[in-house]
Order: sequence, then structure tokens, then C-alpha cells
Amino acid sequence: MTSDLGFVISDLGSTLRVRHSLLTFCFLILTMSSTLFSQKILIPMDLKQTDHLKAYGIAYWALSKNLDVDWLLNYRAGSFMLDGLDIVAKECRIRGVQFEEISGAQSAQIYSEILAENTNMDVIRLEKVPKIAVYVPPNFLPWDDAVTLAMEYAEIPYDKIWDDEVISDKLLKYDWIHLHHEDFTGQYGKFFAQFSTTPWYVEQQTMYEKEAKKLGFNKVSEMKKAVARKIKDYVGSGGFMFAMCSATDAFDIALAAENTDICDVMYDGDPSDVNAQKKLDFSKCLAFENFTLEKNPLVYEYSDIDFPPSTIAPAVSNPETDYFTLFEFSAKYDPVPTMLTQDHANIIKGFMGQTTGFKKGLIKKNITVLAEKEGSEEIKYIHGNYGRGTFTFYGGHDPEDYQHAVGDPPTDLNLHKNSPGYRLILNNILFPAAKKKQQKT
Amino acid sequence: MMVHIKRKQKIFLLALCFLGLHNFTAAQNRPSDIKFKLAQSYERAGDYETAVTLYEEVFAKDSSSPVIYDALRRNYQQLKQYDKAILLMKRWLRKSPGDPGLLSQIGSIYILKSEEQKAFEVWDRAIALNPKSETNYRIVGSAMLQSRLFDRTIDLYKRGRIACGKPALFTSDIAYLYSIMLNYADATREYLNLIRQNPAQIGMAQSNIATYTNRADGLSASIAVVEEAAKSDAANIPFSQLLAWLYMEGKYFDRAYDVYKAIDKKTNAGGRELFNFAERALREKVYAVAVRTYREIMNSYPKFELMAQVKYGYARSLEESDNMEDTLKLFGGLNPVSKKDAAESKQRYAGAVDIFNQVIAEYPNTEFAARSLLNVALIKRDKFFELDEARASLEILVNKYNRFPAISLEGIFNLGDVYLALGNLDLAGAQYKSLSEIGLNVNPLREKAALRLAELDYFNNKFQAAVAKLTELTSNPNSDAANDALSLKLFIQENLQSSEEALKEYARADLLKRQCKFTEALQYYEMIVKKYPKTNIVDKSLIDIGDLRARTGNYAEAIASYNRLITDFPESILLDRTLMKMGRVYQIGLNDKMKAIESYERLLEKFPTSLFANEARQRIRELRGDSI
Repeated sequence: MTSDLGFVISDLGSTLRVRHSLLTFCFLILTMSSTLFSQKILIPMDLKQTDHLKAYGIAYWALSKNLDVDWLLNYRAGSFMLDGLDIVAKECRIRGVQFEEISGAQSAQIYSEILAENTNMDVIRLEKVPKIAVYVPPNFLPWDDAVTLAMEYAEIPYDKIWDDEVISDKLLKYDWIHLHHEDFTGQYGKFFAQFSTTPWYVEQQTMYEKEAKKLGFNKVSEMKKAVARKIKDYVGSGGFMFAMCSATDAFDIALAAENTDICDVMYDGDPSDVNAQKKLDFSKCLAFENFTLEKNPLVYEYSDIDFPPSTIAPAVSNPETDYFTLFEFSAKYDPVPTMLTQDHANIIKGFMGQTTGFKKGLIKKNITVLAEKEGSEEIKYIHGNYGRGTFTFYGGHDPEDYQHAVGDPPTDLNLHKNSPGYRLILNNILFPAAKKKQQKT
Repeated sequence: MMVHIKRKQKIFLLALCFLGLHNFTAAQNRPSDIKFKLAQSYERAGDYETAVTLYEEVFAKDSSSPVIYDALRRNYQQLKQYDKAILLMKRWLRKSPGDPGLLSQIGSIYILKSEEQKAFEVWDRAIALNPKSETNYRIVGSAMLQSRLFDRTIDLYKRGRIACGKPALFTSDIAYLYSIMLNYADATREYLNLIRQNPAQIGMAQSNIATYTNRADGLSASIAVVEEAAKSDAANIPFSQLLAWLYMEGKYFDRAYDVYKAIDKKTNAGGRELFNFAERALREKVYAVAVRTYREIMNSYPKFELMAQVKYGYARSLEESDNMEDTLKLFGGLNPVSKKDAAESKQRYAGAVDIFNQVIAEYPNTEFAARSLLNVALIKRDKFFELDEARASLEILVNKYNRFPAISLEGIFNLGDVYLALGNLDLAGAQYKSLSEIGLNVNPLREKAALRLAELDYFNNKFQAAVAKLTELTSNPNSDAANDALSLKLFIQENLQSSEEALKEYARADLLKRQCKFTEALQYYEMIVKKYPKTNIVDKSLIDIGDLRARTGNYAEAIASYNRLITDFPESILLDRTLMKMGRVYQIGLNDKMKAIESYERLLEKFPTSLFANEARQRIRELRGDSI
């Protein structure tokens, strides 16, 4: 895991800030000396790119072949620069990724332009293949997961892990974990009202109960809360967590509910604690605070974090006008949020989910907001640090399916090769590959 | 009199109202009722603690009211005050000690308290009230289920089944519980038990089993169990039927065949079971099994009532089975002229043709005879290259079977193609023309015929007429023929301007190719390359030469022709297509993986936006063995 390598993620920004001038100079000298004599391959990520999503796969593939990749933040929408090797060019062609072969002199000019003081650009060297885990149940569930879809499409390998792996600390082997439409509160996604009699729901409940028993928990909710705490510990010790849709708020709610029972009788066999709301401990949450639980077990919503609430979202949202805006950050001083917001579009079409977005007033003050729906309370994309690690939450279920319903077929990313919404997911996957400063002991 | 009665009535009503009002206000004012209502309000507002205090006070004054008792119990549970709830319920139990429902509820509370042993003691007491009562088992079972104690519920139901002396009792419940515990083997055993007790329940069992056969583990577990049952109780037909159905669910057609054969025999179905199975196997494209099954019907049930259909199905299965083995189709739909290949095809398709002919002879004037005539004609034309025989079959079809219009019209179209191949362009035109004038309900065939008519003009060097017909066809972009029409139209227009003479020669070569006169066509194409080296038509001729060489198995020569095009015509718009074809010949014809990849990579390098780029990418990845 990252902590074993002794990396300090949060130092990345500050290091660059303090020593930026010196680094710029050194970097320029180093890159110019190496680039002047060698050809380079530039993978543009602006509108000229034919397949943005597979371009991330190329970067990952290059790292797996021990090739260095430079991520040119804000240069042509976050392009990649690699050594001009034949195998790289061939692989780009085979995967349908647009690239430009440029001379050493041209690449030196690009580096020089990026590193100039008056530009909001920077170079991040990617040099480590992130080991990726996706927290996914072993049984079939009738919805897809945008992150696994994106990784499958971009051909980025990952392992699937589940509760027993998390509880037994196997998560520590990984650099990055993804959580999607998971419910850490033990309420089975709050699908009871609509789906409690469907075979997948019944099977899911039985399976989770078995798993809880196997792992020594009386209740599924207790097991899930323990899983959430383990994941939080993993982040604290240097891991990267990326969560989407309901895994975001459900994760924080589970952490806050450590000492209370928020599950009603149909979920864990006994009623919820009448004082559950009062007993929530927001200091344990990563991103949210002061939220109010949705205690009605039949309402498809966990709390008031979700904005707009699932109960009214379909009525108040309009795909034609639903867009969110990415914030711009200083590449040289805030490289982390800059990496996470690299995109060829600043205004991106919205999409719903069980958790569509996050209510502005309930986000902790130390959290960086990466994207919001302008003129509304809806925050779409946030990032924060915890301990030695980081986490990113992205609201909504599937960036290319406005209202992905249970049972809908998975999105075919061959039809969305240039999806700006999906790009945000893949930014997160490459983020742990960035060169970091060695921890001082 | 009336007035008097009315006055009396009024007095009575007033008195009644007064009394009612008095009682109502009295009731309203009773402190316990006010408290009860207040407690209800607190409960509704979610303040269970205050509600409990009030309910306790009310219950202390009136401990006989089931409504107050229930409210208090409910709120104790809500506050997780399980000890108080149990005390209350035990107190209530004294009023009706023989109430299994109440005992069951007490058991459930013990489970919430994590005192499992006490829960089971109470539930056992509930059962002991009347150990032979089906209802008692169901009540206690429900309580256990509510506590999600599935395995204990199953044990209880099984106990009940023995105690009540009813072997089929609770079968569906037990099976369902097993299935939600993902124990598919035992779930299936229960459904078998159900069928054993009542064979008419097979449909219900089947639909319940179907809820887990979509999972690999569910299917394999149920198959293993039913196989065992069918083996040990071979006389049980529903077991065999269930097994056959499971095999079909898993697409194990070979195994299903054996079971259906046995079922057919045991049930004296006279071949009907096998016939239904054969038809499904044919639909599912499991041709080998379909062949075997149809043959079995023909041999074992020669008097089967649908024998025409059986024989036709048999012949179709044979034909499709032969098609799968026919590797020559890789480079085009038509069989090359080589005598060796034609002889091989004859051997391969002889069986199918023979059966089709039997259908024609034995069941004349039927739809199956009509279909058989069409199938025979197409085999003779495309596989044997026996054009005269193909024509003869099609003429019979067209002339004698016009009461089956869909088949007959298809016959006319194919007859046109045969005349064209025979070089009789007038007769071919007559067939296409008759089709192009038919109604809208056979639109696709009509448009295909219209395209053929335009092609005839092209072969006859009537280029302007061809262009006019093609223009009309391209006006309907939804038509299947529109793309071909557009492509031919552009080709004619482009080359008509540069060299009409070359175009005429090329049309001649194209006709020869259509007629499968490949050697002559090749000579023409080669002649065009020599005679009109400066025209736009040369690169296309080189591609055609390569294609014909590939079709006839001369792969190295095909590559040479494609290479010549690439080298001599670096500006040709056909280069991407040529590289694609070259890759295919290397890949499929010469089995040279490296060279194939090289060709596809060149295509991607030179023409990244080509229409063939995706296919090239796909093929490279297949050849590299990528897991995508």
C-alpha cells in the first residue's frame, strides 16, 4: 500500500509550492536534456482526442511497462507525454487513441511553456502502477457501476474485494479503492419498498447475513459499519478512496452511526434507536456533518445529504438543463485538485443517482469542492484528506445515463469515448500514480 | 295524527342526542382515555419514551384492554426495552395460556435479546400446545422467519410434516427457504418431493426452480439432484420431464436428447416429444442434435403425422450442419470453380439434397415441398455450380407453387440470378422486372430486384439508364439496397467521366465474376490493368484480382496483387480496404499471424480514420490474444 512506500500525499501540494522555482528549473534542465535528443509522443486530451477514456488506459499500460508518463496538467486539457517509442505508438493506434509524434525540440518547448511562471499548467510525473481494488459484492445486482465500466473500457486491471477482504486487512495491499452503489448503513440500499420481494434483493439479504455471521457480527449493519471504519483507517494510513453515488453519503452515515442503530426492523430485525439522530457523531465522518437521517424505512433516501433528494429529483431535474461546473485550481500550487479536474469540458452534463449530489451546507469546511451545479445547493464532486490519504466523492450513478434505473442495461462506453463525466472518474485512477515525496522519518 | 307523531319523534330524537352527547363528553373527559390518546400522539410523533410512560399509567388502571396492552408492548419493543416487553407479555399470557401466537411473539423478543435458547424453549412450548396442529407450526414458523432463522424454520417445518403425518406439508415453504439460503440442491429435492406427491405440480415446481437456474451454481445443483432422482425412480415421468427441461435451460442438448427419447417411449407419444425437441434444437442452431433427433423420429416413428415437416427439418439441419463445415465460404458466398471443391461440396451436401428431394417427391404440393425446391436450387447453384439443375428446380417452384407466394417470389428472384449466371440477361431481367412491379408487402425483395435491374443495365453498358435506376433506389435511405446502389452509382459516374471504354471492359469482367466464371474474369481484370494503366479503374481491378485469387485459394498471388496496388497506387482511395483484405488473407488463408498483424497495423498507421480501423483493431487484439 502507499503507506508502505512511505509516501505523503498531502505533502505533494506544499512541496511543489515551496520549492516550485527550484524544481521548475531542475525539471526543465532534466527534461530538456533528455527530450532534445529524443522523440516524444503527445497524447492530446483536448477535443482532438478520439478516445479520451482509452487514453487513460494507455497511460496505465505505459506505467505497467515501466515507462514514465508525464501528465501535463491543463496543457491541452490534461495531455500525456511519453517517450516516442514504437510500441507506444502502435498501442495507441491499436486502442484507437489519438497521438502526435513530436520532436525533442518541440517537447522541450512544450515543457518550457508549461513550467513558465505565468501559466496555470504543470507537469506531474506518473511512475507507479496503482494497484486498484473495487469493493463489489460477489452476487449479481441489477445495476452497473460506472467505475468498473470505465476501467473495463480503458483496460485498466483491478481486483474485486468484499467485506471479508476488508475486515481481514487485505485492502492494505492496494493503492486505490473504489466504492460505488454500496450501502454501508446496513439498509440494503433502502430498496425495501420497491424490491423487497425480488429474487436479487432476497438473495442479497441472505448473503449479507451469512457473511456477517461468518465474520462474527450479529447484524449486517454492524458488519457494514466495521467495514466503513476499516476503509476509513485505510485512507488514514495513506490509501486513496474514490466513491460514487450512494457509497458516498452511506459511508459517512455509517461512520457517524458507530454508536447507534439506525436500521429499522425489516433491515436488522429490531427497530432503530429512537435517539439515533442525536447519537450521530459527525466528528467521525470524512466529508459531511450536521445531516439529518431519513428514518422512514420505506423512503429511498438515507439522509438530507443527497441533493436534490431522490424523492423529488426526477420531478425537478431536467436533462436538458442539468449541468455542473468544474472549478479551476492553480496547477502549480494545488496540483491534486487540478489533477482531479482535468477535462476537455468545464461544464459537464449532470446525471442522477440514489445520491445525485451533496447539499452544500452539510459539507465539512475542510473539504475541497471540485464541481458544483451553479445557482443551486448541489455540489457534485468533492475531495479531502484524511490522515495520510485522500478521498474523492462524486455524486450520481452513471455519467452517461441520466437516470439509471434498477434493471437498466449497462452503458456501452464505445458510444461515449469522449465522455467528460467519465473522465473525472479516470483522473482519480491515475492520481495515485503520481510521483510523491518520500516520507521523512 | 301526523303532527302528533312528528312531535313525539322530535322529543325522542332530542333525548337520544342528549344522552349521546352526555356519554361522549363523559368518555372524552375520562382521564385514562385522554392519556391514551395523548400517548398515541406522542407515539406518532416519535417520542416513544413519553408514550410508554403514559401507556404504562393507562395500563395500570385498565390492564384488560388488548388495545392498551398492544400499544405498550409495541412501544417497549420500539425502545428496545425487551425485559419489560417480556414481562408484559407473560402477564398477558396468564389470561390465555394456550395462545401459540403470544408464545411465538415472546420467542421473537428473546431473539432480539440474543437469548436464543430461551426463545426456542418458548417456541417449543407453543408447539407442545398441540403438536399435531399444522397451524401451530405455521405460527411459530412465521415468528422464526421474522427473526430470519431460516435453517431453524426448515427444521421446524420438517418436524411438523412428520408430526402431522403429511409428507408434502410445507414443501413449498421449505424449498423456498432453501433457495433463499442459496442451498439449491435441497431446494430442488423439496420440489421433487412436491412432484412425487402430486405430479400435476410440475409446472409450479418448474417455475420456482427457474428462479435460480439462471445462476450457474443453481443450475448445476438442480441438475445433479434431478439426475439422481430420475435415475433412482426411472418410472417417474415428471422427473424425466423436469430433467429434460433443466438440460434445455443449460443448453445441454445432447443430454436432453436422451431424456426426450426415453420420455417419448415411456409416454407412447409416438414421436411428438422428440419432434418438439428437434424443432427447438434447430431453432437454437444445435444442428448435430437436430439431425440426430429428426433421424430418430424417421426411423422409430415412420408413421408420424408430421413426417413432411420432420423430413424438411432433417434436411435443413443437415444443410446447416454442412454449412458450418464449409470453410470455403470464408472468402465469399460462392463456391470457387475448382472441380475438386465442387466435388467436395457434392459429397458434403449430398445427404441434405437427397432428403429435400424425398420431401418433394413424397409430399408434393405442400409448403415443405416448395421450400425444399428452393433449398435444392440454392445448393445446386451456390455449392455445386450446377446452374441448369438449379434453374429446373426454380422453374418448378415458380410455376407450380405460386400458392405459397413468399417462397415463390423468392424463387423468382433466384431464378433471375440463375439466368444471369447462365448468361441469359433478358430472361433474368424479366424475372427481376416481374418482382419490381409487385406490391408493397414484399418491399425488400422488390428493391433487391430493382437493384438487379440497374446492374443488368450496367452489365449491358447502358450506364445512364443504370444511373437513373440507382438514383431512384438511393432516394430511400432505409432500403437494404440503398448502400449497394449508391456505391455502384458513384463508381459508374466517376469512371464514365474518365474512361467509358475501361468501364465497359470492367463491367464485362464484373459480369463474368457474377457468373462465377472466375478464370475469364481474371483475364479481363488483368487486361484492364495492362490496357488502361492511367485510369481510375486500375486500382479497383487489382483488388478484384486479389479477391479472385484469394477465393480460389491462391493466397500468395492474392497478396502480390494487393501489394502491387499499394506500391503502384499510393494515392488510391482503396488502400485501406486493400490492407484490410491483405490482413485477412494472411490471417485466414496463410495463417501467418505476424504478417496479418503487420497489415492491420499499417492500415491503422496510414488510415486511422478508415471505416476498417475498428475491425483491424479487433483483429489485432484477437491475434495478440488480448483479453478484452
